Amino acid sequence: MTSEITGTAPSRVTRGGAVPPASAESPARRRRRRPRIAPWLFMAPSAIILGVFVLFPIVRSLYYSFFDWTVGASTQPFVGFGNYIKLFHDSQFWNALRVTLEYTVVSVVLLLVLGFITALLLQGESLANRIVRSVFFFPTIVSLVTIGMVWKFLLDPSIGLVDGLAATLGLPSVAWLTSVHLALPTVIFVGVWKSTGFAMILFIAGLKGVPQERYEASNLDGAGRWQTIWSITLPSIRPTLLFTSLILTIQSFQVFDLVYVMTGGGPLYATDSLVNLLYRDGFVNFQTGYASAISWVLFAIIMIISLLQLRLFRYNDVD
Amino acid sequence: MKKSRTAALAVVGAMSVALALSGCSSSSGSTSSGPVTLQLWTGFTGGDRPGYAQIVKDFNASHKDVQVKLTVESWDTITQKLPSAWLTGSGPDIAAPSSDPNAIADYVKTNSLLPITNTGSGDSKINTSDLIKSTIDEYTYNGKLYAVPANYTTLSLYYNKKLFAAAGITNPPTTVAEMATDAQKLTKGGVYGISLADNATIQMWPVLQWLEGGDIVNSNNCSVVQTAAGQKSLETWANLVAKDKVSPVGQTGAQADSLFSAGKAAMEINGPWAAPGYKSAGIDLGIATIPTGVDGKSVTLGSTAPLAISAKTKYPKQAQEFLAYYTSKAVQKKFSLTTGFPSVRTDLNDDPQIKADPTISTFSSQEADARLYLPKVPNATKVDTDGETTLIGQITRGTSIATATKAAQSTINGLTGCSQ
Repeated sequence: MTSEITGTAPSRVTRGGAVPPASAESPARRRRRRPRIAPWLFMAPSAIILGVFVLFPIVRSLYYSFFDWTVGASTQPFVGFGNYIKLFHDSQFWNALRVTLEYTVVSVVLLLVLGFITALLLQGESLANRIVRSVFFFPTIVSLVTIGMVWKFLLDPSIGLVDGLAATLGLPSVAWLTSVHLALPTVIFVGVWKSTGFAMILFIAGLKGVPQERYEASNLDGAGRWQTIWSITLPSIRPTLLFTSLILTIQSFQVFDLVYVMTGGGPLYATDSLVNLLYRDGFVNFQTGYASAISWVLFAIIMIISLLQLRLFRYNDVD
Repeated sequence: MKKSRTAALAVVGAMSVALALSGCSSSSGSTSSGPVTLQLWTGFTGGDRPGYAQIVKDFNASHKDVQVKLTVESWDTITQKLPSAWLTGSGPDIAAPSSDPNAIADYVKTNSLLPITNTGSGDSKINTSDLIKSTIDEYTYNGKLYAVPANYTTLSLYYNKKLFAAAGITNPPTTVAEMATDAQKLTKGGVYGISLADNATIQMWPVLQWLEGGDIVNSNNCSVVQTAAGQKSLETWANLVAKDKVSPVGQTGAQADSLFSAGKAAMEINGPWAAPGYKSAGIDLGIATIPTGVDGKSVTLGSTAPLAISAKTKYPKQAQEFLAYYTSKAVQKKFSLTTGFPSVRTDLNDDPQIKADPTISTFSSQEADARLYLPKVPNATKVDTDGETTLIGQITRGTSIATATKAAQSTINGLTGCSQ
């Protein structure tokens, strides 16, 4: 692997096209150096905006996480790892971590399965396929907040459409979002409903990249439909599988909008995700230091899980 | 050619710097010699909003030298923006920081508020002795007054006359025992006897606890939910909800309101802001005073939002002038009559015109029996969310009262700093 990289990387000498002269300032060299400012200047707007609005807050949040930083308080005492230790003993944090893990595992598995199946069914380019595909993809382009609001109204046990339909069928009304047992599954359902189209599109892109000869070869070998999917399709789209699961995992771990709009983390913290907890501590209770610590722990968890996924799919191996 | 390109690059660079800096530039108030402009932020988005806007409009018309600019946003937004805005000196001159009176404590702690000194009698002063006493106590720290009530109201019992008649009940309940029996009788055929909310709401459960002889904290800010009286006070309504299903479980305030306005609940405990919506939803609405409690006495919740001045305002005199105008008798009377809300003054309750209005008089007649929720309790907001809301959520879902109150007591005591 490593030899490949060093082997193909062009050396300075060959790139310059000529051996640099021994003397320091040849006219040719001076001319070459001046335009080097240009890339920096063109990058400057993005770099400055990124620095001020992304990089600085990130570094700052790490700094805050070592303080008992409360917005508006007259003193901000340094507590070292105090916030992280407090986090370790905070039952609300463990609850939020459990909720987030449940949400992520169930959502990602469902999305991968549903996304793959719909992609297999709808990968053709017929008009019907395109229409159904658009229908599936539609929720993806709508904001999560809107989707949360709409579903919240649909599922309302007293005035919602779902309750109305259930009533006409003689079924009892169900407290989808206020029951401690049903709230999380309901939120997961809505999240999956929204993102299936997204997973599907990624898988279709992956499927289109599989060389047709492989299918022809397996056909010749007399492989059945399932065998082809298992032995040809899935291994061939491994990069897509990895990318999709990685993106979906990161997305699910950061679930906030849906929870905030639909349940606010309730009932009784049954849907209280990590980001929801972070939001509450940081922006409702103004404990910025503690919230920053949560965000860094969240970052670490996502990092570890992403690395595990990369390892699982052996992405470093030569394909 | 080369030169122009360098110039273009310089422009790109300069623009990017300007762009980045514009995000953190602070705008300063105008220093021209025209009238003074005061910024006012509130979260009054309900049916009472036009009433507040009218006060500001009238003030501006009668005060050529001071102009107030009213900004109305949701309480959530105000609560998020105001602390940092006031700390950095870029916030409004005057604001109603939150509908939660305890908010004032936090702002006092961070020295964000101007102590109010323009008190006394007469129309140009703030007549503190004529304002609701519990609010003035709530807003006074170390002998200094930091806010005046922006509004004040009690909660009453809303009921659906049609559903009452259908259940053969002629009058609204007058005792809490009657209310419990009625709630059971009214619960049938997809209709709930009462619509109770336990989160994101004006506090309904504390009223029930008070009526049954219980409370949340005592005068030392120590939790009393686990005491014998505390547990007993939760029993009746927890059972009614968990076993007899007289109300849906876990509703937010908005959900509880929509249930009542859909005609699917017969009673609700709520403030005057709810009345216009229920009437326009076609509910045959009755509003009664809260029934008397187990000890025969009346009790209800007093709800208020404070109106405070920034410590960094450039116009402390003018800001206090506005507060004096806002709380003055004539202005409050006009506000009350146009919005149907009780006023923040106690000397208006005997006013013939206000007495003649059945809605206002129902709410204002309970002022003497009203209590603020968790007044001056440290970390009151968390005591509410982590202590009370969790407790009610658990017992209405079937957790035993002994178990739930034990956990709530230790949570609340941890938050208030009570050690016993």
